[in-house]
Amino acid sequence: MNILGEIKEILTEILDLEDREITPETYLVRELDVESIDLLELAVALNSQFNIEVSDDDIFLKKFRLYVTEAEQQKTDMVQYVTAKLPFLTKSRAEEIMADLDGGPALKVKDLISYVVWQRKDETFA
Amino acid sequence: MKLHFSGNRALVLGGSCNLAITLAELMIKSDLFPILTYRNDEGERYISKTLQPFAGKYNSHYLDFSDRDSVNSLFHQIGDDIDFLVDFVQGDLESLVASADEDSIYRYFTENVSFRAEILKRAGRAMLKKKRGRLVFISSTAADKPNPGQGFYASAKLASEALYRNLGIELGKHGITTVSLRPGYIDAGRGKAFIKTRQEEVMKKVPIKRALTGQEVAETILFFLSDSSKGVNATEICIDGGLTAGK
Repeated sequence: MNILGEIKEILTEILDLEDREITPETYLVRELDVESIDLLELAVALNSQFNIEVSDDDIFLKKFRLYVTEAEQQKTDMVQYVTAKLPFLTKSRAEEIMADLDGGPALKVKDLISYVVWQRKDETFA
Repeated sequence: MKLHFSGNRALVLGGSCNLAITLAELMIKSDLFPILTYRNDEGERYISKTLQPFAGKYNSHYLDFSDRDSVNSLFHQIGDDIDFLVDFVQGDLESLVASADEDSIYRYFTENVSFRAEILKRAGRAMLKKKRGRLVFISSTAADKPNPGQGFYASAKLASEALYRNLGIELGKHGITTVSLRPGYIDAGRGKAFIKTRQEEVMKKVPIKRALTGQEVAETILFFLSDSSKGVNATEICIDGGLTAGK
């Protein structure tokens, strides 16, 4: 099974979803009503399933807005600043999130996939 | 009534104190496997010496609340396989609030609150993987009724109680529950010498007219680890013979 498939299984179990379509573009908070305790469970499950260290703040983009504010205050390039803090995000994804922030929490399933891939790659080369 | 336990592996923080050793013996006799932490060689030797009759039925590991690397090392060695946690760790900072040294204040709260929060994060996540766990914090009646000079001690105990309480609130639905126990005068460990010199004071203040024994406090802790007490969650209970109940 690929990473998306495994994450879908985890989300289905944690959130008790039935027959719900989950794609990389699915919003976790906006569409799946994920709450903080669900995110904690998700972090623990990802740690177990993929054998990776999980930083809740990073994977769930908890400090994304803070980093944007910091970049503004420091008058530095926002995309560069954010992707330096959250290196599993591509520049295009960081831009997409910035444009989407007014709609609420922008976390999507594809961000979880990116994090898992990035962590595994890091640990492969460690 | 025979006590039943959901699980077997019990992490005992501050495992070299007398009460922890008494509890460890009770645990072993109840077929639990205690993993006691110590912060120095003296503590390790004391655990080995006093639990020598039970060799092979417990384990011990280094953990110092002033050494953050020791957390990783501990959990690396025990894995994420813990079912119970009993927390005896507490440092002392006996000082009037307006007299205390500032560096000591910062260090004290880092070691006794922040470090504890880190341990609880690790333990909570480990227990979430198993969808079960029971955590008992050994607080103190001083949390509710401190003497002058106990402000920092009381503060750290209250903050820690809040962490345990919230863990029980947040993870209760996943089978992970917590309780903080507030012992009063105990005729064991550091309390022994105090009670010896203040016998009259103890007799006067405590409705049952005596200090508790280490054995009975350890038995109470064991009860609160058992399945029989699962309904008690995210709260604080006094084991003080009624000390704090009256005026």
